[in-house]
Amino acid sequence: MSNIRTWFKSGTPWIWLNAAAVSMSLLMVFGLLGLIAVRGLGYFWPSDIVETWYTERDGTRGKLIGEIWENERVSAVQLKENGVQLPPDLDFVTRYLIKVGNRDIYGSDFKVAVAVGLEEFTFPKELIRVERKEWGNFYGYLVAVKEDGKVIESGEDAWIALQPHLEKAQELSARIEDIEKGQIGSVNYRLEQLRLQQRRYELDNELTPEHLAELDAARAELQQEYEVLREELASLNRELARASIVVKIQTGREVELPLAKVVDVTRPNAMGTMEKIGTYLANIWHFVSEDPREANTEGGVFPAIFGTVMMVLIMAILVTPLGVIAAVYLREYARQGPLTRLIRIAVNNLAGVPSIVYGVFGLGFFVYFLGGWIDETFYEEALPAPTYGTPGLMWASLTLAILTLPVVIVATEEGLSRIPKSIREGSLALGATKFETLWRTVIPMASPAIMTGMILAIARAAGEVAPLMLVGVVKLAPSLPVDGNSPFIHLDRKFMHLGFHIYDVGFQSPNVEAARPLVYATSLLLVLVIVALNLVAIGVRNRLREKYRALEN
Amino acid sequence: MLQSEDTRTETETNGMSEQVPLTHGVEIGALDRTGGDLSLDDEDIALEVNKLDLYYGDNHALKSISMQIPRNRVTAFIGPSGCGKSTLLRCFNRMNDLVDNCRVEGSITLDGKDIYDKSVNVAELRRRVGMVFQKPNPFPKSIFENVAYGLRLRGVKDRRTLTEVVEKALRGAAIWDEVKDRLEDNALGLSGGQQQRLVIARAIATEPEVLLLDEPASALDPISTLKIEELINDLKDRFTVVIVTHNMQQAARVSDYTAFMYLGELVEYADTNSLFTNPSEKKTEDYITGRYG
Repeated sequence: MSNIRTWFKSGTPWIWLNAAAVSMSLLMVFGLLGLIAVRGLGYFWPSDIVETWYTERDGTRGKLIGEIWENERVSAVQLKENGVQLPPDLDFVTRYLIKVGNRDIYGSDFKVAVAVGLEEFTFPKELIRVERKEWGNFYGYLVAVKEDGKVIESGEDAWIALQPHLEKAQELSARIEDIEKGQIGSVNYRLEQLRLQQRRYELDNELTPEHLAELDAARAELQQEYEVLREELASLNRELARASIVVKIQTGREVELPLAKVVDVTRPNAMGTMEKIGTYLANIWHFVSEDPREANTEGGVFPAIFGTVMMVLIMAILVTPLGVIAAVYLREYARQGPLTRLIRIAVNNLAGVPSIVYGVFGLGFFVYFLGGWIDETFYEEALPAPTYGTPGLMWASLTLAILTLPVVIVATEEGLSRIPKSIREGSLALGATKFETLWRTVIPMASPAIMTGMILAIARAAGEVAPLMLVGVVKLAPSLPVDGNSPFIHLDRKFMHLGFHIYDVGFQSPNVEAARPLVYATSLLLVLVIVALNLVAIGVRNRLREKYRALEN
Repeated sequence: MLQSEDTRTETETNGMSEQVPLTHGVEIGALDRTGGDLSLDDEDIALEVNKLDLYYGDNHALKSISMQIPRNRVTAFIGPSGCGKSTLLRCFNRMNDLVDNCRVEGSITLDGKDIYDKSVNVAELRRRVGMVFQKPNPFPKSIFENVAYGLRLRGVKDRRTLTEVVEKALRGAAIWDEVKDRLEDNALGLSGGQQQRLVIARAIATEPEVLLLDEPASALDPISTLKIEELINDLKDRFTVVIVTHNMQQAARVSDYTAFMYLGELVEYADTNSLFTNPSEKKTEDYITGRYG
């Protein structure tokens, strides 16, 4: 009895408790990261395509070609209740979820199959996976390659014959996309600018015949440019439409796929390990560098990464000066008393307001009130179509800046209060005014603390989704907020965000099952983006710390 | 055994200022001073304090102080802790303005102009009256930038002018030889004594008229202290120096005039020689002979 008491008094159980709490925290953090990493990164691996036979409930026998997506052990009783025929002595059965693709033909990407009805799995090398621009993946055997409707190669050699055609098709597709999105987009943008210019003249009652002639001339020029592009596009499209492949699917039917609709064709079963690793890395690269396709369930997430980083950077640029100036006033200039204490309490409590409330505020104040006013004052020619009076990047960044303002204020105040009095007196005694002392000495010395505030703000803002849905984030943005059209940075545009992308793909997509790995991959990416942003900020802070090593001698 | 003896000797040395009457001939001769008998009547007066009262809230910290501080001389303020000597020093460049609820009555004139007048630009005043603090307080910048700070405040940007002035100031503060090869290094890497001389260089770089030293050697080791004291002796050729110290030996060594303060009052103010050898006030005698303090 007294032994236990001594043991308690020694503090050992307390140390164990502390250590246990730390271990739990570490376990949770790494468990979380590990889970999303494993699930997310697995998605890019070119897994083998399986071929097998399956007996349906009604006894019909059919071939299955696809990727094994998931398997789970299910209780036999449960299956029997659902009307599945099973041998009586079984307790558990493995149930497979097989991605058979070919959605346009089968109606669904997936096939659920119970192990009992399945025959042996085989992995024929000739099976191909066709990644398409629409309707998801296509699985089957390559039968022939066609050009202009004529078979140019079939059978064994079709695969080899396909390669140059595929490469050409990919190249053509890239050029078509460049013309459609880049050049024609630019022409359209300039045409719109001309229309707005004309409208502006009309509103100012300055639409003289000379102006009109000028505008018409510019318009005619653009129209000509557009015609040239359209012709080029048409010829590219004609060229692209020539080649196609014939694929035999599991039912034995042969389907013709125009290469114009194909992103890539691979034979994962024929790949060696190195080749698979290469494809794996290429897939990851495509994921982070390409635009999404098919309601975001396919393709990449580049616009979302771009939007997230851009928004966070603008937020940081907005919040840091504002927060620092506010903190300097509160700490250095304001008379310390009940009022400043009240302001501090208010600021600290702002940090606890649910983020969606900020979203509502942003929508009501920034978008409708401020944006509406900006539109009426500066963008009258575009009305009734709103320019800033609609959710956009600018307002999202501003809303998040307000959301993270308390963090920056608190951290900066902390930093300012830690600058020794002797330093301030030293500067004042040399004839510096209070402002000069702050500007030349105190604020530089407090800059590591300011950076800490910014790091916390970035961490908070990059993970926020709820308010963004109200003030600027969309499922699919037609163009990035930065492009080649002047003024190059378009803060009024809507943008994509990784956090919202996760929500959209995971819960709003028509094909939730197929998109689930994407949710993990995107989550992992979001975490990585936040970590990267933070590492940059931490790096800057450490350099500043080194530079302004506080007086501690 | 040997060590304990050493320690005791050191304690005695430290305590001497408080315990043993000073033998001034030796002490004063240690440094080359202006020498001879001094009289305030013959001096050019730089600062004149006239019936100065200072309050911290209800606390009457300085009581009707009147004194004259001569130009190009070293004037020392001595007295026990809390007697108001630092407070008085901080009145000369209005550092007390930074203290909330501090109130000053009476006047201090610098070259005949009241520094507490409403029209006085405080920053301007502080450029004319430089100050060095008890604890070295270099900025976390390079040695060069520390010394150039005051010049940059005045808008001096020309690199050559800056280099010249910085070198002159560092030489003036007797630290040039130690730092000339590492002017771009962080000043916080210097030793305490070097930092204090750097801070003095920083203060003299802008050529103030008056230099206030608030216990400049109290945080330093004996060798650094000696260097600072030698430096003070050099400085008085160019500046009016006012020094606060609680080390009476130091006051005797470096100053031409000494003021003894007690409980916010100026008890006695005379040339250093007569104050230490022949104090006219009982309180002064008690203090310098170590009866209290």
